[in-house]
Amino acid sequence: MAKEILAGIDIGNSTTEIAIADVSGREPVFLSQHLVPTTGVKGTAENIQGITACLEKAVKKAELAISDLTRIRLNDAVPVIGDLAMDLISETIITESSMIGHNPDTPGGGGIGTGETILINELADQRHDTDYIVVVPETCDYEWVAYMINRCVKNGISVKGAIIQKDDGVLVHNRLQEKIPIVDEVAFIEKVPLHKPAAVEVALSGHVIRMLSNPYGLATVFGLSPEETRQIAPVAKSLVGIRSAVVIRTPQGEIVERKIEAGSITLVGDKDSVTVPINDGAKRIMNAYKNIGNLIDVQGEMGTNVGGMLNGLRQDLAHLTGQASRDIHISDMLAVDSGIPTSISGAMAGEIAMEQGVALASMVKTEKLSVHKVADLLQKQLNVEVEVGGIEAEMAMRGALTTPGTEQPLVILDMGGGSTDAAAIDLKGQITTAHLAGAGDMVTLIIKSELALEDIDLAEKIKKYPLGKVISLFHMQLEDGTISFTETPYAPETFGKVVIREESGLTPLPIRDSLEKVRHVRREAKRKVFVTNALRALEKVSPTQNLRHLSFVVMLGGSALDFEIPQMITEELSSYSIVAGFANTRGTEGPRNAVATGLILSVTEEVANG
Amino acid sequence: MIGTFEILMNLEDGETAQKGINANEVVIAISPAFGKELNKTIVKVDHGKVLREIVSGIEEQGALPRIIRSYHTADLAFMGHQAAKLSGSGIGIGLQSRGTTVIHQKDLDPLSNLELFPQSPSITLETYRAIGKNGALYALGESVDPVPSVNDQMARPRYQAIAALLHLREAEQVIKNKKPVEVQWNFTIKEEEN
Repeated sequence: MAKEILAGIDIGNSTTEIAIADVSGREPVFLSQHLVPTTGVKGTAENIQGITACLEKAVKKAELAISDLTRIRLNDAVPVIGDLAMDLISETIITESSMIGHNPDTPGGGGIGTGETILINELADQRHDTDYIVVVPETCDYEWVAYMINRCVKNGISVKGAIIQKDDGVLVHNRLQEKIPIVDEVAFIEKVPLHKPAAVEVALSGHVIRMLSNPYGLATVFGLSPEETRQIAPVAKSLVGIRSAVVIRTPQGEIVERKIEAGSITLVGDKDSVTVPINDGAKRIMNAYKNIGNLIDVQGEMGTNVGGMLNGLRQDLAHLTGQASRDIHISDMLAVDSGIPTSISGAMAGEIAMEQGVALASMVKTEKLSVHKVADLLQKQLNVEVEVGGIEAEMAMRGALTTPGTEQPLVILDMGGGSTDAAAIDLKGQITTAHLAGAGDMVTLIIKSELALEDIDLAEKIKKYPLGKVISLFHMQLEDGTISFTETPYAPETFGKVVIREESGLTPLPIRDSLEKVRHVRREAKRKVFVTNALRALEKVSPTQNLRHLSFVVMLGGSALDFEIPQMITEELSSYSIVAGFANTRGTEGPRNAVATGLILSVTEEVANG
Repeated sequence: MIGTFEILMNLEDGETAQKGINANEVVIAISPAFGKELNKTIVKVDHGKVLREIVSGIEEQGALPRIIRSYHTADLAFMGHQAAKLSGSGIGIGLQSRGTTVIHQKDLDPLSNLELFPQSPSITLETYRAIGKNGALYALGESVDPVPSVNDQMARPRYQAIAALLHLREAEQVIKNKKPVEVQWNFTIKEEEN
């Protein structure tokens, strides 16, 4: 009998995986496997490029040629496509610039000072019975400023604090005979109202301001009435947790946190439909989602941010699938709260506030994806018989069951880049599936936004690899606090920086956030997306909607390769006494190649069953 | 009353430079002719202003500036490395008369560096301040964002000949076998009343 060589190909949202096996015998003998990034959207003709490149690599590994293949099996990809969007829901506006609250790296001095704001060049001519806060534009040299203040103070003018445009706080402070608190790096100093009562507060290094961030502190400083204190309370709130601040009292001055008219979304379910304002945040949206039964569609309020967001999403998906945009129905949605750095309008020091935003991932069911079209094209191009194999979930299940230590009933959790899919198989072999929006790409988007990165590839790297902080050229602090030493010095550009520890080397991060902050953002993003989705997915496929009735969960897909996501999920699920871990397809492949393996196994079983 | 003012720099050579013991210090090594035979950079900025900005940048961050003068070499890489080796924090800054600057670390190869500013004509006073600031941040062990530098393709053809001349004049001041010395510095501001 001639040799029968089979290739199983799994086209996923983000990777294309191939397994090659010799199926002439009773048991398939796996010869090689390979994976490449998927070219184009899955189920479209653009996939061919990736498939052929991947096939060439795979057959080469098996020391064969493409012409040696007897048959190629493609998975019947689930016709769902996901997309992401993110938008602001709150905004801080300072009207009548009445305060500066920011964290310059190095303010000068410490303590609190109050007085009337005055330009430094007018200081010498002022009266002796008033306290002053000096305002220093960038044209003034620090030496001159210090000299000037020292001279005026000697002449009996009372100077209680300073506001400086340049980064000169410490320099001026070091040269003063009478020390005062100094706030520096105030970019738009020309906006500081002059001849108005003001207070300057600087906390010592490692502390935060206390007086100006307390409404009653402000009332004490400015002698306010209860009514006025109520008005100024938002100022105090916005100064909580920072190291230096200036508050200038102008009669109309106020600061407001304005909620953007983000609009509301209507979740249409088979039991009920609920309208939730986006401003209520991700938690409310996801709670509403639980109560409506199966989601049929999501509508955004017209003419609002979220309306535009969902429309954009529809257009994208309509374009991809070739359907009319009114035929696109959102079958799943995941909302996650996320910080979006935004500059405060009306601010004087170019302050940036972390405003609230919501990231939405949604999943759309399309008509059958044209896998058959891809199959035909592939057959023509390669001159090898191409067939479309079984249902993706079934194939993944077969592949996952090659993991040592697994048996039916089993739940698989396929965590990819674009979607989180779950499938459960019961004792009789019945399979239930669920396809949820939100996976690796959403985590990347959240990391990018919260760390204010410009480069999405960098965010992707932060997601994938652990961090370190290079302390000297020969030692580095790792995430858990241990120190690692090296004999060959690290690259000079990594010195003193937080780095991403890839296998190939270290990538320094171009941001000044601490190791702990970056790690926290990364872990929170993963938790918000993957742990939430794992629970959601398992509830959907569990025959009783109760997680406690599941016993084995096997994680598959690219995100199961992550160094911490599987642990997070294992930890979370262990509280439901579920055994959860990532797959080890065929005992060798880890969480990869399950579908491709399943495609091959299904053939041999078909043969065996006649 | 913000009049024009002039910065007068006074540099005085002292004893042979010793290795520092203060972990917060950043050592600046100036070249043999800096502020002496030569007193302006390649774009005619006073050496006083340049050095003062670097020193100010270091002080503003809370680190301690120290200045030494290199005699045995006018080569930027070796000057910077020498400064780093003598610095208590292991961070040094090399500064040539024409304005070229490097931030160095003691464990690096001399020809490597933390940050190099090779195009002296495009370095502004703000950049010198930022160089001092970064030197201090490295010394204090904080995360550092590299100083943004401009790249001007025309700088090379325009300034290469002058740079060569300046380096020649600098090199004439090299005294072989003379160890680097401590430099006492002070800046005085002269206000020009208008």
